[in-house]
Amino acid sequence: MRLSDTKFGFILSMPGAAVLFLWILVPFILLVSTSFLRYDNIRPILFYGLKNYKFLLHHRVFWLSFKNTIIFCVGVTSVTFVISLILAHSLSRITRGSSLLRSLAMFPWAVPMVVSGFMWAQMFNPSFGVINDFLLRLGIIQKPMDIYGNPDLAMLGVIIADAWTRIPFMTIIILAGLESIDPTLYEAARVDGADTLQIFKHISLPMNKKAMLTGIIITTIFSFRTIDTIFSMTFGGPAKATYTFGFYILDYIYRYFNFGVAGALSIIMLIMLLMIGSAFIIHVLRTEQGG
Amino acid sequence: MKLRNLIVKVVDHRATPYVVVGVILFFMLIPIGWTLMTSLKTLKEAFLTPPTYFPKLPTFEAYEEVIFRSPVPRYIWNSITYSLATVLFILTAGVFSAYGLSKYPYRGSNFILVSFLVTRILPPLSLLLPFYIIFRVLGLIDTKLSVIIFAIYLSYPLTVWILKSFFDTFPNDLMDAGLIDGCSRIGVLFRIVLPGVATGIAAVAIIAFLWTWQEFLSPYLFLNSDLNKPITVGVYYFVGDELTYWNTISAAAIFASIPGIIFFLIAQKYIVKGLTMGGVKG
Repeated sequence: MRLSDTKFGFILSMPGAAVLFLWILVPFILLVSTSFLRYDNIRPILFYGLKNYKFLLHHRVFWLSFKNTIIFCVGVTSVTFVISLILAHSLSRITRGSSLLRSLAMFPWAVPMVVSGFMWAQMFNPSFGVINDFLLRLGIIQKPMDIYGNPDLAMLGVIIADAWTRIPFMTIIILAGLESIDPTLYEAARVDGADTLQIFKHISLPMNKKAMLTGIIITTIFSFRTIDTIFSMTFGGPAKATYTFGFYILDYIYRYFNFGVAGALSIIMLIMLLMIGSAFIIHVLRTEQGG
Repeated sequence: MKLRNLIVKVVDHRATPYVVVGVILFFMLIPIGWTLMTSLKTLKEAFLTPPTYFPKLPTFEAYEEVIFRSPVPRYIWNSITYSLATVLFILTAGVFSAYGLSKYPYRGSNFILVSFLVTRILPPLSLLLPFYIIFRVLGLIDTKLSVIIFAIYLSYPLTVWILKSFFDTFPNDLMDAGLIDGCSRIGVLFRIVLPGVATGIAAVAIIAFLWTWQEFLSPYLFLNSDLNKPITVGVYYFVGDELTYWNTISAAAIFASIPGIIFFLIAQKYIVKGLTMGGVKG
């Protein structure tokens, strides 16, 4: 007996769909239900309604980590975007050795993020780090700055380190977008007497808007939800200056064993990321409809 | 106006992009270069104030320490195990699904397809907790399996999505020719389609390998004993209570970065090309 094509496709794709169900739907449902439970590994598990959420919204550390996450995210994304934009535009004009130069530009991506944190921690070290030594020699600073003692500097330090790991991705997205712009547009603009700055402002930037937006949103979402670089650089310190949502979740799982609160926290983070993501999707849809 | 002309002239100069790229790349490669330099120093030199920019007497001390007198080789072996197991699983589960969804669509197949994409939105950090609870109930905490299961969750949805788009580009005529020649539909998949989309399979395998290799937080959370740690967590072996062994940690960091560096040396061209043709175009 021979199966019909549709049945064949159904049977073929079922194991994979089952994996999706087991691996993602089951944990997700578990997560949602946990967030409504009193599940602190001390008292018996109990339905708790929205109490976990209420607890969080009145918790000082929640708002502190919220603020830190936003500063971190905005900082990382803007540093990444500015450098990537310059790098991508320069790379797109390079002809000789472009393959090697592009590969080199990808290298920070190759380093596991937790390892990048170590690399930067070492360079930022106040006594034997290269950054302090370099700035001292140039006379920009008079005495070594200590990012592990000064909360403001700590945030700046982790932003730089994290942006470093994200520049390759943003660069490659912008570069790919640039390369898919029709070259005749540039020629036409030249013929009409436009100079490089005008071309940049009226062709390269607007024609590449979608790619740049994609890069910005993905970088925002990823810096929102990863803590690897901060983890190995400052571990959320000093004085919780770099304590972001990730650390908050991790603490409630691993240190306080309060799974109910950790669940509510995970859900809040999920909703925030969904909002960023859907804002992006709506924007893309609107620009596509607008022409 | 004069200033503007000057800017245009500077920007337009043939050498400008090379200079800009050169300067940015110089600063971008410093962290890796500095780590390489530290890995060639003695422990004492790594702690000198002010630091030496190049090791006075390059030594492979740190590498010897890492390879022969530390658990790093085991960590690397664990990382390889995790990455290969993940790749193997997602390919076997993913290829059939993607093939079915791409070439033999049925009512509701689009829904399944979209759910593969939607699940990508769930941040891994949010799902750490439910996985932790599940592993605790099943007694999987501190086992190799826990790391692999979470790694599968990380790369599986995207795998199916990419594979499906590769199958989409494979011409149906070739499949029909195989069917007419007496091949079964599964036979067509193995003899005709899979060899045709080998690049796609390789791409997916490499991406999943790297993703698993670079994953830190989940193994950190799920593993307690030293035995099963991957290299990303294992780097912490050199962080002591009083002293961080910067020269050996640097050597270990270099080892941890090697797979990724090889990948980007080879694959950079294909990434830009793939992105130009696919997603971001428009």
